[in-house]
Amino acid sequence: MTHVKICGLMEEQHVKAASSADAIGFVFAPSRRRVSIERAQELSRLATNEVQRIGVFVNASYEEIDKAVKTVPLTMVQLHGDEPDELIQRIEVPVIQAFSIRTPADVEKLNSSIADYVLVDAPGTDYRGGSGHVFDWSLLENANLDHSRLILAGGLNKDNVQAAISQTHPFMVDVSSGVETDGRKDEVKIQQFILQAKGDSMERTQEKTIDPVGFFGRYGGQFVPETLMKAVKELEAAYEDAKNDAEFQKEYHHYLKEYVGREQPLTFAARMTEAWGGPKIYLKREDLNHTGAHKVNNAIGQALLAQRMGKRKIVAETGAGQHGVATATICALFDLDCVVFMGEEDIKRQQLNVFRMKLLGARVESVTKGSGTLKDAVNEALRYWVTNVEDTHYLIGSALGPHPFPTMVRDFQSVIGKETKRQILEKEGRLPDAIVACVGGGSNAIGMFHPFIEDASVRLIGAEAAGDGVDTERHAATLTKGSEGVLHGAMMKILQDDAGQVQEAHSISAGLDYPGIGPEHAHLADNGRVTYEAITDDEALASVIEMSRLEGIIPALESAHAIAEAKKQAQSMTADDVLIICVSGRGDKDMATYAEKMEGLS
Amino acid sequence: MKRLAELKQSGHKAFVAYIMAGDGGIEKLGEQIQHLQERGVTAIEVGIPFSDPVADGPTIEAAGNRALDEGITLEKVLEEMQRFDFEVKVPLIIMTYLNPVIRFGAERFTLEAKKAGASGIIIPDLPFEHRQLIEPFAKQQELVLIQLVTLTTIDSRLKEILKQAEGFVYAVTVTGITGSRDELAEEVGAFTRKVRELSPVPVYAGFGISKESHVDMLRDDVDGFIVGSAIVQAFHEGRIEDVEPLIDAVTAPHSV
Repeated sequence: MTHVKICGLMEEQHVKAASSADAIGFVFAPSRRRVSIERAQELSRLATNEVQRIGVFVNASYEEIDKAVKTVPLTMVQLHGDEPDELIQRIEVPVIQAFSIRTPADVEKLNSSIADYVLVDAPGTDYRGGSGHVFDWSLLENANLDHSRLILAGGLNKDNVQAAISQTHPFMVDVSSGVETDGRKDEVKIQQFILQAKGDSMERTQEKTIDPVGFFGRYGGQFVPETLMKAVKELEAAYEDAKNDAEFQKEYHHYLKEYVGREQPLTFAARMTEAWGGPKIYLKREDLNHTGAHKVNNAIGQALLAQRMGKRKIVAETGAGQHGVATATICALFDLDCVVFMGEEDIKRQQLNVFRMKLLGARVESVTKGSGTLKDAVNEALRYWVTNVEDTHYLIGSALGPHPFPTMVRDFQSVIGKETKRQILEKEGRLPDAIVACVGGGSNAIGMFHPFIEDASVRLIGAEAAGDGVDTERHAATLTKGSEGVLHGAMMKILQDDAGQVQEAHSISAGLDYPGIGPEHAHLADNGRVTYEAITDDEALASVIEMSRLEGIIPALESAHAIAEAKKQAQSMTADDVLIICVSGRGDKDMATYAEKMEGLS
Repeated sequence: MKRLAELKQSGHKAFVAYIMAGDGGIEKLGEQIQHLQERGVTAIEVGIPFSDPVADGPTIEAAGNRALDEGITLEKVLEEMQRFDFEVKVPLIIMTYLNPVIRFGAERFTLEAKKAGASGIIIPDLPFEHRQLIEPFAKQQELVLIQLVTLTTIDSRLKEILKQAEGFVYAVTVTGITGSRDELAEEVGAFTRKVRELSPVPVYAGFGISKESHVDMLRDDVDGFIVGSAIVQAFHEGRIEDVEPLIDAVTAPHSV
């Protein structure tokens, strides 16, 4: 587990608040946090024996350092100046040498330090010895560093420390201003920082839990009421079995081919390529699936699995109605009972899909609670499942929910990425440079990205919904603005207030209007493999018009977010590059919204 | 919580009342606790409102929404409990969904809950598998983490859960969400009998308990009853006296 150092302590209560840290730091160099050797000695007495006492110096003499080491006493010394190697060698306790990181060349210097540990920080401003600013952690990647002697500092706080740890894997994190309020240490912030850094939640659970299956880093798990545990465990076992059964896979692929119409083309978008003036643009055509979107890939897989488990009743939630339609369609095909929960607000804006579900024989239940959107529909579907769990399968539509749902949905949707990979190799003889997909809960994106995760040269970009803008109250930008929390059976990233109440999301696109993001995406965001950008309603609408007129393909509002982000990405790419957009669905369902928003379109 | 074991020894049945903290304003919390302890309840579950209470039916969800509208948070409830100026004579158990606890910090939560005079914690969306998120901190503060068992809990798992049980076991008597029911399923009696045989601690029946007929049906197979929605609704409508016959039906000495 990563060690934690709380630096720049000056008051008794703050030393006590840091009692569960691994190290405390006293600053002896000029700084507003400077203490005398005698004061450090007093404060040091309040800490337990297990805590390292580290003294921070800038270009001090050996005598001065040695006096502090013996008087306080210090167990380590941290040097922020231009101390020569001879001085470092003379110091009797382990030494930490600090470096400011601005460029890859700065990172290279770390390996030549003779100190026991190297501390990395952003370039400082007023005093040497701590900047309070974050530097580009990615500079530390692939730098052939010994991470077991790495100490990370600079602008850390409780909200970014986990991301920092998962990206840089340091021996220790060092915080000072990040645990202060108005320039003074804050006990609550100190404790929160330690809990976060030490993984108050997932990391610790993973070490101790009986059954660590079903986690992506710190995200995932099975956070459901006890009544559902039996069903969740049965599903886990049944899926594990089916996944490895050639007959099951054959049947699944049979329906994808004969009923859905796969494989779908990877269309070269000649006019968009020309108009954007950058990379070659290819479109993965999930809009051509039967029912009009990628959702059916997952619905078929889960419906086959439900029958294998002897369950002939299906409950589902839907936002835009695409998952509801896909589920209703498959239930008609396999003669299964089908009830779909859909928010009142979504029923209004996706009338066509509501009618389609009814025509297909499904019961559509309107959810009037909350904001009447996807989150509320999931709540009601879960309650229905709790009550009817013995004979009903919950056919969840995104890469969300308790394990095994996020893994299972991803596997069923991975057909998107697998086909894409084969097709681009045929067409271009190489992998693409970037792939963009939209993310709400994240199922089309994870299905597209997953087969490319190990291909480091392929940049993966998720486009989430910024609604009116990420700085307004009305958005669904979970990765841009969210934080770790438990919702709908999994630890993931959610939009929540300070008290842990989940907030309502807003997007013009009913399919992206969800305040959480699946656990695997949350993990991929933390480890930096996928970057996530937010696209506003207006940007998405502009992309609907642009693609319709350039390519003769009217995209769904959800997919339009990916197109808008792709256009931005294209600006910095060249004609030699290849960019793929996942067109997750077609726009028929959104015609009423388009007609209303684009009144006077000419 | 020792008191609960003693009560079982004496052959009396326990009545555990659930209230939604802050429904009607935070100042109601102390009043409701005082009222219930005067009326002879055995213990009180203090419910924390949550935006997405998937284990709860419409009554408790509505109460939670009213409390959220009052600006009630986990922190405010714990602070209010720390300010109580009357003697709390019955064990108080905090019942909350997991997310507010994670946001607050698990260790800090147990620390403040202890200061607030709580004896136990119930987290309905924290299954046995993930109890390590909270249990080590709860133990440090000598708070018991109450486990739930349900009609769908398979036998091997039931044994595993009961082995670790502390305080009491919450036996969920419906396959579903909280809320008043007309009737309980026939198999509930057999279920609670099985749980009681295996459990080292008292077994209390909860979810759907709202009538004396429910109490009569299960009296011999459990050590107590947990009543939530019926009490929450009665407090909301200012007619808590309507629930008093139910409290008496459970707690009065019974000659069978």
